[in-house]
Amino acid sequence: MPGSVTQRERKDLTTAGRLSAVLQGFLRQVPTDRDGAARIRGRHIYVMPTRTGLLFALVLFVTLAGSLNYQNNLGLLLTFVLGSVALVSLHLAWFNLLGLEVRASGGDGVFAGDDAYFTLTLRDPGHRPRADLVVGAAAGSVHPIALARGAQETLGLAMATAERGRLVLGPVTLETRFPLGLFRAWSVVRSHATTLVYPRPTATAPPPLVIQVGAQAQAQGDRGEGADDFIGPRLYRPGDSPRRLDWKALARERGLVIKQFGGARTEEVWLDWEQVTGRDSEARLSLLCRQVIDASEARTRFGLRLPGCIIPVAAGETQRQRCLETLATFDQDPR
Amino acid sequence: MLAATLLLGLACLPLGQWLAPQVILYLYALFALRLAALYWPALAPNRWLLLPLTLAGLINVVAAYATVTGREAGGALLATMLALKLLEVRGKRDVRLLAILFGFFLASLFLFDQSPLLLAYVSILLIGNLALMVDLTARTGPRPLTAAAGHATRLVLLAMPLAIVFFLFFPRLEAPLWSFGRDDQTGITGLSDELEPGSITQLVLSGELAFRVWFDGPAPAPERLYWRGPVLWHMDGRRWTGEPIPRFDAAPQPLALAEDQVSYRVVLEPNNQRWLLALDKPVLIPDGATWTADFQVLASRRVTTTERYQMTSAMQYDTGQLDPAMAAAAAQLPPNVTARMRALVDHWRRDATSDRDLVERGLAYFRDEEFHYTLEPPPLGPNPTDEFLFETRRGFCEHYASAFAVLMRLAGIPARVVLGYHGGEQNPMGGYHIIWQSDAHAWTEVWLAGEGWQRIDPTAAIAAHRIERGSLVDGLGATRPIRFAQQDLDRLAWLAHRMRLAGDALRAGWQDWVLDYSTARQLALLSLIGLGFMSHYGLAVVMVLAAAVALALTVALVARTRRDPLEVLYDRFCGRLARIGLTRQPNEGPVAFYERISARRPDLGPLVEPFLSLYIRIRYGHGATIDDRRELARRLKRLNIRKGRSGGRDGRGAAVKQARSRH
Repeated sequence: MPGSVTQRERKDLTTAGRLSAVLQGFLRQVPTDRDGAARIRGRHIYVMPTRTGLLFALVLFVTLAGSLNYQNNLGLLLTFVLGSVALVSLHLAWFNLLGLEVRASGGDGVFAGDDAYFTLTLRDPGHRPRADLVVGAAAGSVHPIALARGAQETLGLAMATAERGRLVLGPVTLETRFPLGLFRAWSVVRSHATTLVYPRPTATAPPPLVIQVGAQAQAQGDRGEGADDFIGPRLYRPGDSPRRLDWKALARERGLVIKQFGGARTEEVWLDWEQVTGRDSEARLSLLCRQVIDASEARTRFGLRLPGCIIPVAAGETQRQRCLETLATFDQDPR
Repeated sequence: MLAATLLLGLACLPLGQWLAPQVILYLYALFALRLAALYWPALAPNRWLLLPLTLAGLINVVAAYATVTGREAGGALLATMLALKLLEVRGKRDVRLLAILFGFFLASLFLFDQSPLLLAYVSILLIGNLALMVDLTARTGPRPLTAAAGHATRLVLLAMPLAIVFFLFFPRLEAPLWSFGRDDQTGITGLSDELEPGSITQLVLSGELAFRVWFDGPAPAPERLYWRGPVLWHMDGRRWTGEPIPRFDAAPQPLALAEDQVSYRVVLEPNNQRWLLALDKPVLIPDGATWTADFQVLASRRVTTTERYQMTSAMQYDTGQLDPAMAAAAAQLPPNVTARMRALVDHWRRDATSDRDLVERGLAYFRDEEFHYTLEPPPLGPNPTDEFLFETRRGFCEHYASAFAVLMRLAGIPARVVLGYHGGEQNPMGGYHIIWQSDAHAWTEVWLAGEGWQRIDPTAAIAAHRIERGSLVDGLGATRPIRFAQQDLDRLAWLAHRMRLAGDALRAGWQDWVLDYSTARQLALLSLIGLGFMSHYGLAVVMVLAAAVALALTVALVARTRRDPLEVLYDRFCGRLARIGLTRQPNEGPVAFYERISARRPDLGPLVEPFLSLYIRIRYGHGATIDDRRELARRLKRLNIRKGRSGGRDGRGAAVKQARSRH
């Protein structure tokens, strides 16, 4: 998905990082089982010495050579104990990951530019206590955590977003340097957890197309400005009262926006692809997104018309959600 | 950080006895600065201060040893640099580096001392160091320090089998590949190839171990144990030396008589000399050793590590004919022979019927005149022999042997002085004899026609009541030589002596099995398991195989997952219900299961409820205590599930119906 790829590129700017990302691609990933948990098995765990480990090996070699040369049996014994400790620690690192269950899920949808949230749940199925588990994803890594035997822990992962669409968490790396920091054992968990990224709403949008709903129970009225109900924002024009300025919008860097208030009445609007104009379709989607937000804030009944997709008029949170999802995945989902 | 400082500080403690005081002082000044900087961070030296500190450390070491290589200087430099690195620590990475170098530092301590005590001390420090590394890596659990120490101990215990396999089979070098110059051997005491008044006294007072002997058969009486070392031919008036007479490098002519042979194994402590001590007179010498015509057995190089060898000696012997070169060397007289010495010998010669008789007269002279045996003889002037014989008459074995040999040469009997050890104490706990440096001795050998070179110990001629027991002798305690009888040990001293013997038995075993474990031992072990034919390659093969097995076993031990006792109880509970046909479905939680039980068997509901409710509380609630678990086990035990227990026949009928309906 475009979103996650750009994130990854942004993180791994160095060549070494890029190389490791490429290598990472060759590694066997932990598949997600039918129940939504990825279980780490032996063949999914990779172990490599860390820089500390390599240094340790070097010092150990010097110690070995010295002890051999001086025929110092106790020195040799110490060397062998250290070497064996390193070997055992390699296996402990491996066992520290073995059998772990990882569940990933996406959080609520966010607007492009905001942080998307994912939830990761690590669980030990009653095998052994775990220590020093570091979860890393394209979004960055989280402080190491420990798990008691049979315990589970939930972590939140934040991921910066740039483009609308379905943001897939992507491969999650679970790594440990337990116990001595000489070896790094890691597993790559393939996760299908997604979070929806809505288009970034523009600061303002032109007022949508109002459908006057005939002679039904709706009160008729002009669309003139009043002071009763908030009907939506519009850009500041010289002469507007500063009391009407939307300071919150200013704080959110949406520019000088005036809150429009209208008389008490209900109306239905169509938010229409054809009615908004923008440089490209993304700009149009951003405008539509703003309209959806405004309309739902104004508690207007609204519908959405996109090429090849029409969402009938409705009101409420569900409608807002549905429209935002449609905007987010417009032209992307093959489904 | 504090932990790292403390570890290094503790590790430097034993160095105090081996390194120069100025180095130790500087080290602990650095530690003090480090500790102070922990509390007042402003004290932490910056880079510009560290540079002069480093230079000062380097200069300090060079000033103490005039070099930076070798054991002492190298150890001092390493310790100083580690302490400086400690001051420079900025982050976790530095501490990690320090922890890794610390392992090397610990190994270097064994160059100074290889006692079991130091090993135990180092083991504790090693665990501390590993705990530090664990703490640097995984600071996630509760109570991190305890957990880290636990992890470190577990790691070491798990690593032990593998380490032992490596230790047993890892191929050793038979000779060093390199050497940083000659290490300082001044601390080593032992015989030297010259004798002057006072030299043996020094040795006797050192109280150190000289060597240990295992006799193949029954051991000869301690009085008969004369261990030969250097043979001295030349007397310059004050000193006996082996020079300038050329060594009699050829092998000795075979003994004309060699009876009463004993075989024995010697483990010789390093003495920085070449002599391999042998019972008088050696018959078979170890491979690689050489011997000289005067029966000195020499190792191929100086003994700087423990040397072990097997020898056979004849206690009764006849060396046969006298070699003319030897006869000349054994007739050399010191330049300072006085008239009264000559008169004394001439007097003996007049009366003596044979050379043997003359020797006896000489011994009788020491016995009958007022000669005293003492470790604290009065100082002697430019002509020690004359002064000793006629004026002071108080001396130690070196005085007696020297004076006697000079007198014999004056009488025309070929004589030489032999240095070595006399006696040896049996250690009942180890089945071996201990020979201390305090057993060092000097005696005389004379050549008599028909008998060959014969050992004459003039010191033994002194009347027992004239052996002086000065404070020096008493200070020798348990190691006093057999010349000072030991019957008067009181109970406490006796106990101390036994303890000392027991301690020595332990040390001997340690030396034998750990410190001197060598290629020869490895090959012996290999033939023991029937792979002797494979030689050195066999070692490598066996090492790899045994290491693989040890590692596999260790991993299996780690892999063993201990089940949650709660789960075990619950499984047992489910198993009992399964026996009456109520099998828990895999996706069924305890509550759902309970509902199904109650629905199918209303009578069982109230029975299983106490168990299940407690189980649910422990499983999903917080803070299960051991008591809770015990109570759960009790409730499981009390649970009496039978097929159709409640309603008599009805119940049974229901159970049968259930069983049927399942088919």
